[in-house]
Amino acid sequence: MVDLTNPYTYVPVVLVILAPVIGGLLMGIDRKLTARMQSRMGPPITQPFYDAIKLWGKEPFIASKIQPVLAFGYFGFSLAAFALLAFGQDILLLIFTMAIADLCLIVAAFNSKSTYSNLGARRELLGMMSYEPVLLLAAISISFVTGNFMVGGIFQFETPLLTILPLTFLAMIPVLVIDMKKSPFDVSASSHAHQELVRGIYTEFSGYTLAMVELGHWTRVALLLGFMSLFWAPNLIIGTALAFMLFFIVLVIDNSYPRLDWKTMVKTTWVVGFLLILANIVGLVARLVIFS
Amino acid sequence: MIEDALIALTVVFPPLAGLLCYALTNKTARRLIVALTAVVLIGSSILLYIGGGFVYEPAPIFENVILVLDLALLVYFLYAGLKYKNWLVLGLSVLQLLPLIYFEFGLGGMVVEPMMVVSELSLVMGLIISVVGSLIVVYALSYMDEHEHHLHIEKSKQPRFFFFMLLLLGAMHGLVFSNSLYWVYFFWEVTTLCSYELIRHDGTEIAVKNALTALWMNLLGGVGFIAAIFLGYYFAGTLSIEALLNMGEAPIFLLLFATLAFAAFTKSAQFPFNKWLQGAMVAPTPVSALLHSSTMVNAGVYLILRIAPAFSGTALSFGTALVGAFTFMITAILALNERTSKGILAYSTIGNLGLIILCAGINTPLSYAAALTLLLFHSVSKGLLFLCAGVVENRVNTRLIEDWEGLLAKLPLTTVIMVIAMLSMFLPPFGMLLGKWAAIDAIVSAPTIGKIIMLIFVLIGSAATTVYYSKWLGHMLMLPQSGKGLGNEELPAPYVLSMFTLLSLSVVMGLGVALLINSVVLPAMPVGYISSIGVSVVNVTTGFGSFLTIPYWIGAAVIILVGVFIARSKGGVVKAPYESGENIADNPEAFRTTADTQVPIEVSGMFMENEFSESKVLTYGVIAGALIVFVMFFTVVL
Repeated sequence: MVDLTNPYTYVPVVLVILAPVIGGLLMGIDRKLTARMQSRMGPPITQPFYDAIKLWGKEPFIASKIQPVLAFGYFGFSLAAFALLAFGQDILLLIFTMAIADLCLIVAAFNSKSTYSNLGARRELLGMMSYEPVLLLAAISISFVTGNFMVGGIFQFETPLLTILPLTFLAMIPVLVIDMKKSPFDVSASSHAHQELVRGIYTEFSGYTLAMVELGHWTRVALLLGFMSLFWAPNLIIGTALAFMLFFIVLVIDNSYPRLDWKTMVKTTWVVGFLLILANIVGLVARLVIFS
Repeated sequence: MIEDALIALTVVFPPLAGLLCYALTNKTARRLIVALTAVVLIGSSILLYIGGGFVYEPAPIFENVILVLDLALLVYFLYAGLKYKNWLVLGLSVLQLLPLIYFEFGLGGMVVEPMMVVSELSLVMGLIISVVGSLIVVYALSYMDEHEHHLHIEKSKQPRFFFFMLLLLGAMHGLVFSNSLYWVYFFWEVTTLCSYELIRHDGTEIAVKNALTALWMNLLGGVGFIAAIFLGYYFAGTLSIEALLNMGEAPIFLLLFATLAFAAFTKSAQFPFNKWLQGAMVAPTPVSALLHSSTMVNAGVYLILRIAPAFSGTALSFGTALVGAFTFMITAILALNERTSKGILAYSTIGNLGLIILCAGINTPLSYAAALTLLLFHSVSKGLLFLCAGVVENRVNTRLIEDWEGLLAKLPLTTVIMVIAMLSMFLPPFGMLLGKWAAIDAIVSAPTIGKIIMLIFVLIGSAATTVYYSKWLGHMLMLPQSGKGLGNEELPAPYVLSMFTLLSLSVVMGLGVALLINSVVLPAMPVGYISSIGVSVVNVTTGFGSFLTIPYWIGAAVIILVGVFIARSKGGVVKAPYESGENIADNPEAFRTTADTQVPIEVSGMFMENEFSESKVLTYGVIAGALIVFVMFFTVVL
């Protein structure tokens, strides 16, 4: 059943363990690149780890008894979603698992009677409402090409997806912007404080609960970029380069656009996302019809 | 022989027990009768299920009994229309009464053989009706006491209430076991009667008004049935559903099935007929629970599932799917703006029925299996949600979800059960999400190009579903620092019995979904529907994807346990929320403003009146729904 002597058997396990670390490094790179774009030096790329370790050791203050459980849930379910990716499981199930993780964060933020964190939680819900259908439709367009919903199925498919689904790839940009909490769609919170939001959905987290939320966020970034690297499967080296390029694009967008309101977020993501993916599907069907 | 007795027990016993409830006004007697009925119903439906499908021919005398009762029923509707001067009710009753008299006495009626066909599908429906339905009636024993206490009612109206509740259970059994279109029609009208009587039970002005809305919309469905009966009589020469299913796809038979589908849309409150179920919320909560989970609206879904194999791949099938998909999306958007608990649940019901009807309309083996899975899990979860909502409403005296803030501190037990029930509606690894997942796989693999529209409807609806349930969850789980518990939460025995049984059912069915699909869903598929669905200990596969089951449950449990462990070991002091440094030391729920005034912190709910105004969405929704139904008929006739 499972060949324990084959070293490749352990690759997914190693990937799952490394996911938060990769995500943390990405956040460090994010801070460095953002600093350079703003003509600053920026911290070393291992800075997020120092921050997290410091947070973990701080005196524990919590907003409610169940807040820490939910904070861990955000990390735990994000990691579970990453595991589904690493083990080549169903993409739809992966997206629904991401929704559980996000829901943990949202309920944790709703959990205290705090105006800022409640505002952030609502906006996070709207963010979820914006990107989830697009992400699902992207998964569906992939299934039209590969014939199934399995991540493993993409690997068995020889041609890189990007050459067949370039518009789906583009439609994922707003999804990444929202879920990485980057401008212009950092409506629920962002890495820096906003005047009317303070820290939005993160406001009531501190010390070890904030450390767990950070860990969850890193895992999510690793998950999203890992998912994007599938667009050049099975050659994951090019895939990773592709994902990194997208990461850079998101950072450029982050540093060039001011924040927009949630309505624009929902509209842009749905209209742009749906139209791009549908155009891609229609194009594929048209090509099939013409060449057959 | 034993089967005949069991059928009689499920169909005839509940109304008789109801009559007894009506005659004996004694409370203890009523409790005993209801408990006995629950035991009889659950027992006989399980025995029937074990026995498997069969054909049953009741004594010919029943033919006349049903004719008399049916005429009496229509005359009663006529009377209701006259009494309340509701011309719609009046007109629609006449539209049924006159053709029916002509059919029976002018044309001499029609003998159908066999009268009753107990198929695997109807056995599954029977199980849902008996188990979930009986538990809700048991729950109502306590609820109605509290309800009448709240309303300060001197003379109890409970005998009447339980009569109609039990009658509804009997009629539903009759409906799912009948093979004669005429018999199905009769039981269909009885469920209409029960819903009308139960909705207007409290006798308030709004209750009567909404009951009449429910009545005319359901009577409209009845007219559809009459049309189907005449089409069957003239063009097929039979009223046996089994025979009609094998008539082929000639336009005239498609028209017959379209009229039945039309009737099903009215009963399942699909757009444009959504209004009555929303209005039904004025009834006491057990009524909503019963109508929404295991009876009434399921009659429509059942009818569509029963006839769907006859029109697979036709325009009718596509139209049905489109009605379902559209309803699923529009109700989820409407629920975003809904402020009352029961209102949200009502939209959720209509939407989920839409999803089931969409699956039935897609009409492939996979989608059919998805529809049955959704039906099973929906009835349990939605029943449980309504029961919890009823308990909360009687305790905190409000249906506004914004006022449910901090419910976890006030009613810990009910809140936890309700939260699990909510999660079971839209998150993995629960069965509803498995059904939705299978539905997406089924739509993706459907042999029609129109699936793209349906997919977009489903995706938007599904995202909005997550939002409206999550924000509600947020209100319930908020823990204000000053939030004090009401002490020990005590629930009367009928509550405990019904709620915990449904809760365990929902979890056990989720855990044992492999067994459920193999031994309940797949045997209930129509002949020739060989599903690609496969189950193992670890997952459910559709040929397109794989849904992890047991590993997922274990993983989720591990994550929660580790979270609890970390929370326990790190602990922490509960601090007041951040208020820009303007907190007040002895009052964590207020902040200091100009001239040291203390202002309480208030957190309201999120509603999007300006973006998705309820009245506008409803108007457009009803118009669009009517258009879809109209075009469906148009294409069928062409």
